[in-house]
Amino acid sequence: MSVHTPHAERGGDRKAAVGSVGRPPVGWAVPGILFFALFAIVPLAIAVYLSFTTWDGLDSPALTGLDNWTRLFKDSEFGQAAWLTLLLTTISWAFQTPVALLLGVWAAGRQRSRAVLSAVFFIPLLLSTTAIAVLFHALLDPNFGVVKEIGPWIGVDPNVMGSSTGALLVVAFVGGWQFMPFHTLIYQGGARQIPEVLYQAASIDGAGMIRQFFHITLPQLRHTMTTSSVLMIVGSLTYFDTVLIMTKGGPGTDTTILPYLMYRTGFQTYDLGYAAAIATALVVVATGLSLLLVRFSGFGSMRSTREGM
Amino acid sequence: MSIDTRPAAPQRTSSVPRRMRSVPRPRRGTGNPVAGIGSLIWLVIVLVPLYTLLSSSLMHQDEALNGDPLAFPTDPTLDNYTTVLDSGFLSLLGNTAVVAVATVVLVLVLSVPVAYVAVRTRSRLSSLAFRTFLLGVAIPAQAVIVPLYLLIGKMGLYDSLWAIILPTAAFAMPVAVLVLSGTMRDVSEEMYEAMALDGASPLRMLWQLAVPLSKGGISTVAIFSALQAWNGFLFPLILTQSEENRVLTLGLFTFMTQFGVNIPAVLAAIVLSVVPIFAVYLVARRALVDGLMGVGGK
Amino acid sequence: MRSGIFSQGTRTTRWAAAGAALALAGILAGCGSGAGGSGDGTLTAYVYGDDAVKVQQAAVDTFNKTSDVKVKLVSVPGTDYVNKLRSAMGSPGAPDIFFNWGGGSIKPYVDSDDLLDLTSTVNEDPALKDGFLPSVMTAGGLDGKIYGVPMRGMQPVMLFYNKALFTEHKIEPPKTWEDLQKAITTFKNAGITPFALGGSDKWPELMWMEYLLDRIGGPEVFRRIQNGDTDGWGDPAVLKTARTVEQLIDDGAFGKNFNSVDYGNGGAPTLLNKGKAAMHLMGSWEYSTQLGKAPEFAAKDLGWTAFPTVAGGVGDPANVVGNPTNYWSVNARTKHKDAALAFLRTMASESYSKALVDNGDIPTTSDAASMLSTSPNPAFANDQYEMVQKAPSFTLSWDQALESRYATPLLTEISKLFAGKSTPEQFVEAMKAAK
Repeated sequence: MSVHTPHAERGGDRKAAVGSVGRPPVGWAVPGILFFALFAIVPLAIAVYLSFTTWDGLDSPALTGLDNWTRLFKDSEFGQAAWLTLLLTTISWAFQTPVALLLGVWAAGRQRSRAVLSAVFFIPLLLSTTAIAVLFHALLDPNFGVVKEIGPWIGVDPNVMGSSTGALLVVAFVGGWQFMPFHTLIYQGGARQIPEVLYQAASIDGAGMIRQFFHITLPQLRHTMTTSSVLMIVGSLTYFDTVLIMTKGGPGTDTTILPYLMYRTGFQTYDLGYAAAIATALVVVATGLSLLLVRFSGFGSMRSTREGM
Repeated sequence: MSIDTRPAAPQRTSSVPRRMRSVPRPRRGTGNPVAGIGSLIWLVIVLVPLYTLLSSSLMHQDEALNGDPLAFPTDPTLDNYTTVLDSGFLSLLGNTAVVAVATVVLVLVLSVPVAYVAVRTRSRLSSLAFRTFLLGVAIPAQAVIVPLYLLIGKMGLYDSLWAIILPTAAFAMPVAVLVLSGTMRDVSEEMYEAMALDGASPLRMLWQLAVPLSKGGISTVAIFSALQAWNGFLFPLILTQSEENRVLTLGLFTFMTQFGVNIPAVLAAIVLSVVPIFAVYLVARRALVDGLMGVGGK
Repeated sequence: MRSGIFSQGTRTTRWAAAGAALALAGILAGCGSGAGGSGDGTLTAYVYGDDAVKVQQAAVDTFNKTSDVKVKLVSVPGTDYVNKLRSAMGSPGAPDIFFNWGGGSIKPYVDSDDLLDLTSTVNEDPALKDGFLPSVMTAGGLDGKIYGVPMRGMQPVMLFYNKALFTEHKIEPPKTWEDLQKAITTFKNAGITPFALGGSDKWPELMWMEYLLDRIGGPEVFRRIQNGDTDGWGDPAVLKTARTVEQLIDDGAFGKNFNSVDYGNGGAPTLLNKGKAAMHLMGSWEYSTQLGKAPEFAAKDLGWTAFPTVAGGVGDPANVVGNPTNYWSVNARTKHKDAALAFLRTMASESYSKALVDNGDIPTTSDAASMLSTSPNPAFANDQYEMVQKAPSFTLSWDQALESRYATPLLTEISKLFAGKSTPEQFVEAMKAAK
């Protein structure tokens, strides 16, 4: 069912066609937009509103002006959480991108063995985040888990969850363990679309494998990398389930990332107004980062070429 | 089960002008040793936890606590699985299934028209809506959980499955709209024109042309939203409470405390939670893999 | 240029909008009826989900046999209880009756007028008024009013130990600080963790703080804090308590990996019953926990004693910390007030106390002492009852005595102190600043 048509031809046709063909009424989009607005945009607006109030969840929210925000900027715990979030995001990205890229490009080859391995690699994606966190929580129990036996053997302290750096790295690793297949798939899909002629041309020029990788594969995967990175970053900003289940933000507060701090403030301390301020800050960071990535990587311009099609 | 991994449908391949059609065939330089060794290491990293998961779930508790965790269980037992099944596992599974199906239906019913309108009209409103959804990708669900708690409470939905379904569907929509509008753009204008000449209404065009030709995108969206629902933890955690409305993820979390250092039982619960989706994977691996590849874009 | 389409568009727009509105309304209406909370003729009761729930379930079953209004018991998994209750109380699906610890744990609900004032109900009913130990009844109230009826056993925190290990290493369970230090050295040298501690759950660490502060500065120090004076954290006894904790950690009293050990999943109790740790400071429920996890150990090798004295401390060594008991409180908005009160009255019945005793609990009823002989372990029951009865002061667990807006930061700060992430001085400063 190939519906593929060469591009230039199509774009030209469309211009001529505008207005002459039955267009769907814009109203069709209304239910979807309303629904999304009700459960995502409106809550976001409420979150911003609540960030200017104090609310304990039982009485009505009471406006307190900028109190929460001034507190936010002075709160060393918020500062630490923001830093840890950034750190976790960076570590996750730096861990997942190279591995997923290599695995993806490798899996793009069509040997049967690779297909079999790819099928195995996919399995972690079938487990829910909760299942994975519970699994690793059991495996990493310092007294009763596998880590006690094989930890020393591969250079991992059995008390890895009890050390600050260890716990953070574990959270990053567990996230990577789960999402690697997804990003591998994205890169695999991307790599398969690199025109073969580019490689043929390069090898005629005498370029070696490594050179080909850096001069053809990587540049050609630029957009794929952006997509994958945006998903990775937005994803790891919110490694909440893993933290809640595996570390409860500890030891001390050393894995208390922003979403967890928000959860603790909101649903344990019941300081819901301040929690809303933290949440708003999280959105600003997430959106800001994504926009930044999109801008610098030219993802936006790619979209507009598509839109203009 | 086929283990072939060719791209499923040609429409997924290039739509960007600079690209030439790539013919699927073995690439030169296939024997990249770095990636080869890397993939073997990753294989071990993936398999060791999975192996321990399976083997320990078959052990007696004492063996799991004291024995060599990498050894095969000396006296395999299914007791742990019975324990889990007796602890209300099937009701957890049922709830999760309801949530997943309802989410998928809701997402598709709502997103297909949005994507269709975004692709087929040029109005300000539709482009604004499209951009809103695009930005929506970056809204973390955690950020709105406080207001959602308020909203769901006010609607009288606290502690019901709807409290999970509605926000989950809403948060799956941005990606759904992006993916769907991506695939729908690939439907050629001539085909619409041809149908228009036959006097087809926009509804018929959607139903007989855009939808059938976007099957790839639709299945991507269905899989993506089903996985969101399957994975969801925060919404159930905050917005539900009673055992009747507990879903699988929350159930696992509860088991973790309830079974405690009865690690084999905890692991058996995890294994059981994977069984249904693993079955889907065996039957429809291609759809699943291609579908997820579709989230990454073209 | 698009007029034809446009006019068609508006009609469809309206249709679509109407459809969406209808669909949403339908969804909302459909769900409203399915939401939690009390429907007609039922009372929802939230209870802390642990091994003791079966006693309450039996009481509910008995009650439902004769009552038109049925009680529906909802067992909320323990670790989440406080949060889940709070979330539910803020929603229309709030429970009618709920388990709590009295004190700060019900303060927010009292402040927002969510609780039924039980003062006159209790005072007019001799069965309730004289049925329970007066001190326990008072502890469940707030500002001189009564908001709860005792519904479980007393839960003092005690020092549990593994008898076999003490025999093997020829030492006695610690009575003084010196004994305690000797025990630490002995067990550490033998490669055994002196004290099991579920640091990952944070509140087991709190128990150490509670006893140390009580022994060092007496119960008055915390009472001042509980009454709302955060400057109370500046008391020198608090600093000394925090320093003592630091010292204990440096001495290896809790081993190396206590930060990642859970209590909730049974990690810490298992360390004790497997002989990997020698002692465990825990609430009296540790006995039933061990009975459930390792019956043989509980019957043979599980020992218990009071928390030792601390050198230079002014607190009475007979003082106890923990939970005097748990209470049922009633939601002021319940539709079935009379039925709820009728259910609460059954808590004073002899058969209910008996059921508690049989489960290993020690009821807080006035006549409990005479029943303890049928307890699964009368020696343990009597010791515990005596300990509480003779205690000049029974300090409520800090995380229950304080409202959650103080209790959560407190747990966080304590966890940081134990993890070595803040110094005793920083701990004191952080607590003084908490608000």
